Amino acid sequence: MTVDTFELRVESRDGSLGMLEVAGYINNEAGEAIAREARRLIEGGHHTLLLDLAATRIINSIGISLLLEVLEQILEIKGTLAFCSLSASITKTFQIMGLSQYTRIFPDRATALTALSGPA
Amino acid sequence: MLEPQLVRLVLPRRPHVELEAGQAVETLGLKAGFSRDTLAEVRLAVVEACLNALEYGGGEIEVELAAHTDGSPWLEVRVVDHGPGFDPDSVPRPQLRSKLRAERKRGWGLELMRRLMDEVEINSRPGRTQVRMIRRQRGG
Repeated sequence: MTVDTFELRVESRDGSLGMLEVAGYINNEAGEAIAREARRLIEGGHHTLLLDLAATRIINSIGISLLLEVLEQILEIKGTLAFCSLSASITKTFQIMGLSQYTRIFPDRATALTALSGPA
Repeated sequence: MLEPQLVRLVLPRRPHVELEAGQAVETLGLKAGFSRDTLAEVRLAVVEACLNALEYGGGEIEVELAAHTDGSPWLEVRVVDHGPGFDPDSVPRPQLRSKLRAERKRGWGLELMRRLMDEVEINSRPGRTQVRMIRRQRGG
């Protein structure tokens, strides 16, 4: 396995929070897998999704466009899409796209879970 | 005057080949003394150039990397394909607000390349498209 091998772990946490822990290169295939699991979580009543990208070093533009599909679905239900543990280059990529206007970004998972699990 | 360190790759059209170009950026750049953060940005720009060549271009993809370490270090990248060519000025700049409402959410590659690199120059004609990009090391 290389550092770019894609892995996805999905966790349904208490309340309406769902978490996707992503490792490896997010391209079209990985983006589709994330979008599919995110849709499943949303349909299961999760209005807040946290994507932990601690083990992701690169997202290409096709992967990004698939994350935008997830964001669109979340915005439709007035939910929250959050990211944590972004690398410097992914932070810059999101900044270029203007994603921080529509999502919440946290430095690490513990901070994210504290903020997102609290009372609305 | 120091000669630049050069790497030349000829990549076949197969899935994930863009990562090989990205890996070459990292290997060459680290050897030449670039920071990992700078290289991560160059790596993504090169991945995007290769993806465009894979999707819209034709033939093998030629990637040339040059690390110039004489004075303030800078990386020069050339990605060449042999497809039908395109007019880079006709590619609209993506806006997140409109992309969120749009059926097609793609179209970020060129914008990312332009924003991650210091210079991006595209010369395209039928049979040959060359993307030349430059990124300087910033800070100490």
